[in-house]
Amino acid sequence: MDIDDILQEVDPSFHTIPQEKRDLQELTRAWVAERSAPELLPWPADGLFERINGSIKRQIEKVEEMTGDMDPKTNFALIVIQTELERFKYLVRSYLRARIAKIDKHTLHYLSTDELRGRLSDMELAYATRHQALLHNHYLSSFLASFPPALQNLNDTAGGISMIETPDLESAVFIRLLKNALVEGRGVDTDDATNMQVNDIVILRWSDAKPLVEAGSAELI
Amino acid sequence: MALPLPPGLNHSEAAFLAEMELVTVVPRQRLESIELLGGKTPPLRPLHRADLPLWLALLLKKQRRANIVPPPWLHPSSLAEIIHRETKEDPSAFSPPPPAPSRADPARPGHAHQYDTTTTTTILSPPFLPSSCTAAAPAGYLPYHWLEVAEQLLAHAGDDMAGLGGASAGEIRGLLRDLVEVRAAKMRSSAAALEGFGGGLMSLRGVGAMELAESRGFVLGVVDGVRKIGAGAEAARREREEEEMAGPGLGLEDDESDEEMGI
Amino acid sequence: MPMYGDLGNKLVQHAKRTQGLAHLPPYQTELVRAATREVRDLDKDVASLLEPFQGSFDPTADQATACTLLVNHLSMRRNKRCLLAYHRTRTDKLEELAWNGTDILELAGQQAGGTNGAPIADAGEASSLSPQEEDYFRQYGDLLAAYKGQWTDIDLTGSLEPPRDLFIDVRVLKDAGEIQTEYGAINLTKNSQFYVRQGDVERLIAQGYLQKLG
Repeated sequence: MDIDDILQEVDPSFHTIPQEKRDLQELTRAWVAERSAPELLPWPADGLFERINGSIKRQIEKVEEMTGDMDPKTNFALIVIQTELERFKYLVRSYLRARIAKIDKHTLHYLSTDELRGRLSDMELAYATRHQALLHNHYLSSFLASFPPALQNLNDTAGGISMIETPDLESAVFIRLLKNALVEGRGVDTDDATNMQVNDIVILRWSDAKPLVEAGSAELI
Repeated sequence: MALPLPPGLNHSEAAFLAEMELVTVVPRQRLESIELLGGKTPPLRPLHRADLPLWLALLLKKQRRANIVPPPWLHPSSLAEIIHRETKEDPSAFSPPPPAPSRADPARPGHAHQYDTTTTTTILSPPFLPSSCTAAAPAGYLPYHWLEVAEQLLAHAGDDMAGLGGASAGEIRGLLRDLVEVRAAKMRSSAAALEGFGGGLMSLRGVGAMELAESRGFVLGVVDGVRKIGAGAEAARREREEEEMAGPGLGLEDDESDEEMGI
Repeated sequence: MPMYGDLGNKLVQHAKRTQGLAHLPPYQTELVRAATREVRDLDKDVASLLEPFQGSFDPTADQATACTLLVNHLSMRRNKRCLLAYHRTRTDKLEELAWNGTDILELAGQQAGGTNGAPIADAGEASSLSPQEEDYFRQYGDLLAAYKGQWTDIDLTGSLEPPRDLFIDVRVLKDAGEIQTEYGAINLTKNSQFYVRQGDVERLIAQGYLQKLG
């Protein structure tokens, strides 16, 4: 008997999925989540994007090798490879740009604490830091430098109102349950808690969905 | 702006996602396995069925290199059954999604042991479930990407969709239209219910990706609106509940002093 | 004499209008200068109001002065917010143009020339960008190029529409000779049919040499 069959018997959630398929699932899930969440989500720590970027690079090289000596009419494999390549490039592009859009919108917020900075990739952190510096310089040279020194900051909180804008973490989202789980959601009149099943689709506040998503019990859709 | 799109997948993004669903093809020509970024394709032999992502199946179909096997849920009898369930059995809810599939990967029997087994915690979900839209999909249940897949199949492989059971593509289209209408009405009444909704959870089990894309902005806008309008009442409720939790002793004393004042 | 806050309101109105426009309207140099000057004047007022107290001002003892100080303080902060909002709206627009691949010369031309390259009445007029904005646009362009450069294979400024029909069937309507594609040369003779990369033949389709099928 195959070891996988045994494992599957003891734990029905166990399954082996080839690395490529797993990466595509994770890439797709990350893209949908980033397109749906009201705030920036953590950059995957397991090297997913570095791995996918490497595969894309190798695939492009393969296309270049193949194009040289093939009959354009019969080279169907090349058409398939290029079609898929465009799909991957689009996924990564849309994902990266969804992130940059969020970082641009609330740059000071995402640079404000170690936890938040930790969500950005190294490149994103470099981009955000430089972008903020450019903006601050622009404000300074346009008007801020002529202000009294006490008013030149961009992050003052005088009057109890912070000048740092933040994303609305209470925005509603749709999630799908990946595991049976207790789902808790706060409402205006009542707070609910329900045991939900795999495949259930629920509307709730992002702040309530977040722990489930982070634990891998649910995904944004 | 780096991404000029509102949050949540729109129509064309949902359709793009659906093109990754596996469907079953009957090849008309040989095609060797191709090493794709998403994994190797199975080698194709004439008349030997194989499962491929929809985008690739459509490419083969357009080139007349393969025919596509309709998923069983797209058969007229299955669609009629689902419509019956949606209108007669439970007119207020969406019909249930397909039962959770076995976690094994039937597309690669015997191949599983070749792969690293230490990091296999990824849980597959649409569009990557092994048999939502293949010939092995269950009849009578709509998978998450049902509408996008059905539309693509009818548009580009209408001749393959007809045939079985003597149905015409036109008949299937008619049933799909009915289904879209029935379910759109449910989505509208869900949205209407949300306007007076004060709870924290609303289930939409069985809803499809395209239906979400269609009404996402409106539905989430209503929920956010209800929250913002009720923010004051909610904060007051929470404060009250916290006081009650904080200890009955304190509350009791207050009551007593109130009573004393009354006397 | 104008009320405090008027200048700020005007800036915010300009910012709002800018959001709805496809192009960038002229920079309000005078308005920005006036709003900034107002802040400096208010700050001077505060300093001279506080001067007699030598650092020992007691708000409860002199409520009228306290009230004036508060109003001045809030007005300064309001002007600051309005100035920030005005400039941020414009940099957002500039960044959008950078993502769309507009370069600085194009931008200057577009601003001065209006649409469709129509003859320009005010050709002598300066760009609608302030010199600081021109700097910003250039610097942001460099930053974007640097970030893009880390993802060269992805083409980060490429289309945000999901890819569709990368390859298409075309029929040749009139002889178009030989074209070079990624796979080598294809001879386009009338009535022949090909499966080609859409990007390779878009011009020929537009020119009526080829017809897209299916």
